[in-house]
Amino acid sequence: MTAGAGSAQAEGPQPPPASVRPRRPESAPPPRLPDYVLRQPHGTYHALNPTTKLVIAFAEAAIAFGVRGWIGPIAVLVVLAITAFAAGVARRMVPFALATIPLVISILLVNTLLYPGAHDVIVRVGPLAPTWSGLTAALQATLRVIAFALSAAILGLTTPTDDLLSDLERRGLGRRGTFVIGSAIRMVPRMGERASEITDSQRARGMDTQGSVLRRVRGVIPLAGPMIYGALTEVEEQTMALEARAFSAPARRTVIRVLPDSATQRIVRWVLFLGAIAAVAAEISGRLHLP
Amino acid sequence: MTLRLAAARYRYAGTPRDVLDRVDLEVAPGRVTGLVGANESGKSTVCLVASGLAPASIGGRLEGSVTMDGVETVTLAPHEHAQRCGVLFQNPTTQLSGTAVTVWEEVAFGPRNLGLDVPQIIERVEWALETLGIALLAPKDPVRLSGGQAQLVALASVLALRPAYLVLDEPTSQLDPQGTRLVGEALAGLAAETGTGILIVEHKTELLAAMAHDVVVLDAGRVALSGPAGGVLADPRLADLGVEPPAAVRLLRAIEAAGLARDAQLIAAVEQPVA
Amino acid sequence: MSIPITLESVVFVYPDGTRALDGVDLRIGSGEQVAIVGQNGSGKSTLVRQLNGLLRPTEGRVLIDGTDAAALHVAQLAAKVGLAFQNPDRQIFAGRVRAEVAFGPRNLGRADADVERAVDEALEAVGLSRTGEANPYDLGYSRRKLLAIASILAMRTPVVILDEPTTGQDARGVARVRAIIERLSEEGRTVVTISHDMRFVAETARRIVVMRAGRIALDGTPAEVFAEPNWPALASTYLEPTLPARVGARLGLVGTPTEAALVEAIGASRPVG
Repeated sequence: MTAGAGSAQAEGPQPPPASVRPRRPESAPPPRLPDYVLRQPHGTYHALNPTTKLVIAFAEAAIAFGVRGWIGPIAVLVVLAITAFAAGVARRMVPFALATIPLVISILLVNTLLYPGAHDVIVRVGPLAPTWSGLTAALQATLRVIAFALSAAILGLTTPTDDLLSDLERRGLGRRGTFVIGSAIRMVPRMGERASEITDSQRARGMDTQGSVLRRVRGVIPLAGPMIYGALTEVEEQTMALEARAFSAPARRTVIRVLPDSATQRIVRWVLFLGAIAAVAAEISGRLHLP
Repeated sequence: MTLRLAAARYRYAGTPRDVLDRVDLEVAPGRVTGLVGANESGKSTVCLVASGLAPASIGGRLEGSVTMDGVETVTLAPHEHAQRCGVLFQNPTTQLSGTAVTVWEEVAFGPRNLGLDVPQIIERVEWALETLGIALLAPKDPVRLSGGQAQLVALASVLALRPAYLVLDEPTSQLDPQGTRLVGEALAGLAAETGTGILIVEHKTELLAAMAHDVVVLDAGRVALSGPAGGVLADPRLADLGVEPPAAVRLLRAIEAAGLARDAQLIAAVEQPVA
Repeated sequence: MSIPITLESVVFVYPDGTRALDGVDLRIGSGEQVAIVGQNGSGKSTLVRQLNGLLRPTEGRVLIDGTDAAALHVAQLAAKVGLAFQNPDRQIFAGRVRAEVAFGPRNLGRADADVERAVDEALEAVGLSRTGEANPYDLGYSRRKLLAIASILAMRTPVVILDEPTTGQDARGVARVRAIIERLSEEGRTVVTISHDMRFVAETARRIVVMRAGRIALDGTPAEVFAEPNWPALASTYLEPTLPARVGARLGLVGTPTEAALVEAIGASRPVG
């Protein structure tokens, strides 16, 4: 086709043309997907459509945060506990609840001690004056945070990321949107790995990770710098690798796993979605009309 | 039918000078072309240009001509490049999607992007895995693979688009000796059995001595040497160009330099392939 | 300025249950120059992280200069054991090459004049003297890697550990790394190098420790480790003897891990022609 194309082929054995490639014999049965790709999910909750589970998580988080007082977060936690046991993931949710501890502690301390405008002091300890209203607000906030973490956890534990992404894409989220969500999700475990490598590298150079506040503030740059640089180069590499795999092809992506869905689930999704919004709206408008 | 760079000049976006200076290079079907040179001599840039990622995906300015089977690559969209010329980088982990549950689905990612029907996807995925001899990895979780295995899965993912050419930028640099051997053997088999034309950047000249038909040496963005692998890898100028000659070449040269007879027994002992 | 290192029956188990070190006894004498080889996952990186306290043994003891490392903080150990990691991009943060190299010695509390001198020396050793004011991110990967090595050299630790210093280096870079190791060794410092490159370790190291599945499989001089009787042990951890070692064995010669050794052995065994 091009001039001089034959020159490089002058030496060595003549290869077969690129088009000659092993093909399936005509008589072979039609190919089918392996079982490990079809993966029939076990259990009712796992088998729900990924978007249904996403809407459930959304509704739980919305009610936990939107419906004030004790009712919202407690109702959501009860529902979460029941679904977690039913789905058989209760044990694996424990670490997610534990992960909220640092945030919970700071919420408890700050609110209990510094709740604005509260005078119902529990007990005075030197300069500290914890208040009942502060404690109540703190406990409610804590329950909300835990409910939120667990609603995300149950979604993650029962839904492979790929399934959620392809279901959202099928519903019209679009390839780019899917990519943005997907790359954010896949960044999380790598961020952890990268952070520990960076910390090791800087500690090996004598950086003190303990000590005074000033020291720690100064220690942020040696940790954050490589973190940001690494994230940027990784995104660049990943973008090129995706292009190399025809990510920007105009065709509609093929769905290989047909994910279960039903009319009932569709109704449940709308009811939950609208119901959660209605509950939050009622709460807010109710508040607004209060004298 | 070739992948061909003719008088190619390229400069990255936002930089003042060309990093490639009239590079001529050709990759023919079924042949492996090794690309070597000192660090920062332009090898990775050649990979980006040859695979069409530059300028299509990363910008910059390309002059001269880069053609695949006679078609100027600048006229092609990125997904069209991908089906003609696959590209593989050093780091296996960033090349995998990170969301696929099994290796099988990871390899299916590219064919799915093309919107192929399910039987075609199955055929391509299985073909890619079998060609590289990694069919047994298919049910595994991609994040639980060794470096060499992950690199082969990344290669299979690119192969599933059935490109006529492959461009590989130091595919073994992050791998241990076992991983290097796995990838090296798979690539040599690929060229021989499927007629894929391969351009490979590689510091390990032993690997090139074993698998490359031709070798091109870059120096500061220009082609300094090129020709059949045996001749170029034994060229006395290689070391001055920042490239370590293969062990056998160095050894024969050392024997000669010491004034020892290069008798038949000695040469046979050096050149006998490793069992 | 040189100190010995001793590992006594060191076992290390990661939180996920992986037994990365499974009873390692190793003594590296003051001023020794050792290479550790083995396939990925054999325990090399876990082992060197015990030496500067980034990881602490699950069982057993690590003695640095006779002191149990358990009694020392990482910051204290950093003054004795410098460890240059494999990936330079996991450490580079400064906007100037010199500032990056000065980070370590400053952390160790050295005086400004000493830091400046150490930075000059370290940059000279890795061949980056002329790029002191450059932005590290403008350098190519191989030079960033040399910069990371310089940032450890500037700490002037009695023990220097280099994890895969030759990956991504061209022939000149590899020669540069070899020169750095030889110079450290001449200064009497203890040097430990992790590498996958058998030719490099055969030509550079005085002693090679082969790791397999968390244990030491072989330990000796290059001539000993690459001797024919050890080939099955090397093969079991996917390592190959160097070409000169194989050629020497074919010619019935022993102790020929490097080209120089082989040429000498051939010369001694046959008439010059």
